[in-house]
Amino acid sequence: MALKELSSLEKFLGLKKHNKYSTQGDNKVPVLQSNNGPMVGLLTVCSHLVNEAKRPELLGTSTEHRAMVHQWLEYRVTKVDGCTREEAKTVLKDLNLYLQDKVYLAGNCFTLADALMYYGLHPLVVDLAVHEKEHYVNVTRWFDHLQHYPRLRHHLCPVVVLRNRVYISGHH
Amino acid sequence: MTKEDAQGSTAEETQSKKGLKKQQKEAEKAAKKAEKQAKLAADQQGTEEDDFSKDQYGIAAMVQSQQKLDRELVRVQDLTPEMADKVIWLRARVHTSRAKGKQCFLVLRQQQFNVQALVAVGDRASKQMVKFAANINKESIVDVEATLRKVEQKIESCTQQEVELHVEKIFVISQAEARLPLQLEDASRPEGEGDEDGRATVNQDTRLDNRVIDLRTTTSQAIFRLQAGVCMLFRETLTKKDFVEIQTPKIISAASEGGANVFTVSYFKTSAYLAQSPQLYKQMCICADFDKVFCVGPVFRAEDSNTHRHLTEFVGLDIEMAFNYHYHEVIDSITDTMVQIFKGLRDRFQTEIQTVSKQYPSEPFKFLEPTLRLEYTEGVAMLRQAGVEMGDEDDLSTPNEKLLGRLVKEKYDTDFYVLDKYPLSVRPFYTMPDPSNPKYSNSYDMFMRGEEILSGAQRVHDPQLLTERAIHHEIDLEKIKAYIDSFRFGAPPHGGGGIGLERVCMLYLGLHNIRQTSMFPRDPKRLTP
Repeated sequence: MALKELSSLEKFLGLKKHNKYSTQGDNKVPVLQSNNGPMVGLLTVCSHLVNEAKRPELLGTSTEHRAMVHQWLEYRVTKVDGCTREEAKTVLKDLNLYLQDKVYLAGNCFTLADALMYYGLHPLVVDLAVHEKEHYVNVTRWFDHLQHYPRLRHHLCPVVVLRNRVYISGHH
Repeated sequence: MTKEDAQGSTAEETQSKKGLKKQQKEAEKAAKKAEKQAKLAADQQGTEEDDFSKDQYGIAAMVQSQQKLDRELVRVQDLTPEMADKVIWLRARVHTSRAKGKQCFLVLRQQQFNVQALVAVGDRASKQMVKFAANINKESIVDVEATLRKVEQKIESCTQQEVELHVEKIFVISQAEARLPLQLEDASRPEGEGDEDGRATVNQDTRLDNRVIDLRTTTSQAIFRLQAGVCMLFRETLTKKDFVEIQTPKIISAASEGGANVFTVSYFKTSAYLAQSPQLYKQMCICADFDKVFCVGPVFRAEDSNTHRHLTEFVGLDIEMAFNYHYHEVIDSITDTMVQIFKGLRDRFQTEIQTVSKQYPSEPFKFLEPTLRLEYTEGVAMLRQAGVEMGDEDDLSTPNEKLLGRLVKEKYDTDFYVLDKYPLSVRPFYTMPDPSNPKYSNSYDMFMRGEEILSGAQRVHDPQLLTERAIHHEIDLEKIKAYIDSFRFGAPPHGGGGIGLERVCMLYLGLHNIRQTSMFPRDPKRLTP
């Protein structure tokens, strides 16, 4: 799962050289063997790839921005990965509230946080029924925007998102 | 003096001391008692003396039809300012009573109407009468003689807002027990409101266990008046269209739609079934030249499904008619009937609709004229566009059915539509296959707010084809011989459908549970009351 994600990210970043990855432990933590020794963990590897691609803006442009990006990356690996059905509801609910007035997770521009969160949330969003997608309308809007973001989707299937609200009265 | 004597005397002494104390106490007690009694007697005398209105209230003798009183009882709904200052009699229930010093306010209820009544100490009513009025148990039935008075300020809590009754006489005709199994206020509180205020709401099982009381709420009264309206409009419309009402047996020898979901009853030395629908009989009536028939009656389903929309016994409104060349003639006739019912409800039952929506808010029911008709394949396409994965000939699952309803509402703004041309494989054996595509059939469902209310089709009127279809469905030909034989002697092409009365009411009013529109619901877990 994480490995597919990493290769999609490589393609997205436009890296010519494709790295070889292995996993470690029961949680299948990705490992990258680099010239400076092994790199362990999704966020570490991803930050490395971003630097390789010379796209530092994806990690944030100011101190606050970097902190924000970092915060959502942390959220992705600690809250989203391996969450139960119940936890997923909380994640979607919180995120829906947070995204109410935002286009991207960290303010007004695309960052690595959006990419990794999109990859991480995909399995949750795929399972949502139409009325649930409408219920988490801000998440759905953000998700739909990201799945159409140039060269990001790659290994993932597209999710159908209705443009019109069909559950106006709120009950179904 | 011996030792024993000494002991005896001391014992005696102590005893007498104890005795003295006891005596004293008893005397005191007696005195108190006497005092109390004297006081009580005095009080009673007092009440008897003071109570100048003792003939104007009390518990009336049981009505055993001893006398024919020439007394007109006015209905609560007729209490309007035009009748002000008249002295009237009425019979109603005590909805609530609230005593406040020398006054007692009663809310008197009659069906879905109520009015405020006032018993006040004055020339006519004594203190005791007010006390009596205040102590009448809720839900007791009383006869009241009162003067109708206009009020300065509207009484918001009553339906008769511009008048109140000044009570002169009040008699209890039937006394309710002091403790009610549920409070009517709790049962009529709007959905969700109770949770916010932390006030009690009554859950459905409690309501149904005490259905007699629950049915007294204004909402229940309105629901079942509207339900009667649906039946009336159904009959009225179809009778105008030259339909004939028929009565069919409910104890039948063979299940009409496969044997899985029928109740078996023992029938002398053999067994019989309870009818799942009057299907076979209404078709036989068509073969017997009745041309257009309908029937209203109980229908039984032995499905062990505990959902918001399934009952094991419900009222079926069934239609069957012969047509000339195309079964759409039947669809048009049924949809027009439904539209007439919706219009009739909208125009004649507005009060009831409003009453129900106060407790269970919902959007008004929308429909188009002529009714929207979609083909099954179009429906499937709409669902696929919304991201649902399903095969061409799959039956609609309940969630998909509801979703399609939503999609249709969004696109066409209607809560009522027909889905035509169902896959043949998901319909009963007597369904006519589609001549242009044998995978589909000339059958249709009708939906209200995304839930199925009617299932119908053109029937096979050719005995040959009917036999083939029955064999295909692995039905024992012996058991349906009479049915197939009825088509051998000339049978006109015909079609029809069956509607669930409870579902129509539920969905028209936008309610969430079919038990709300069934007076005494029957489901796998409920056989009483």
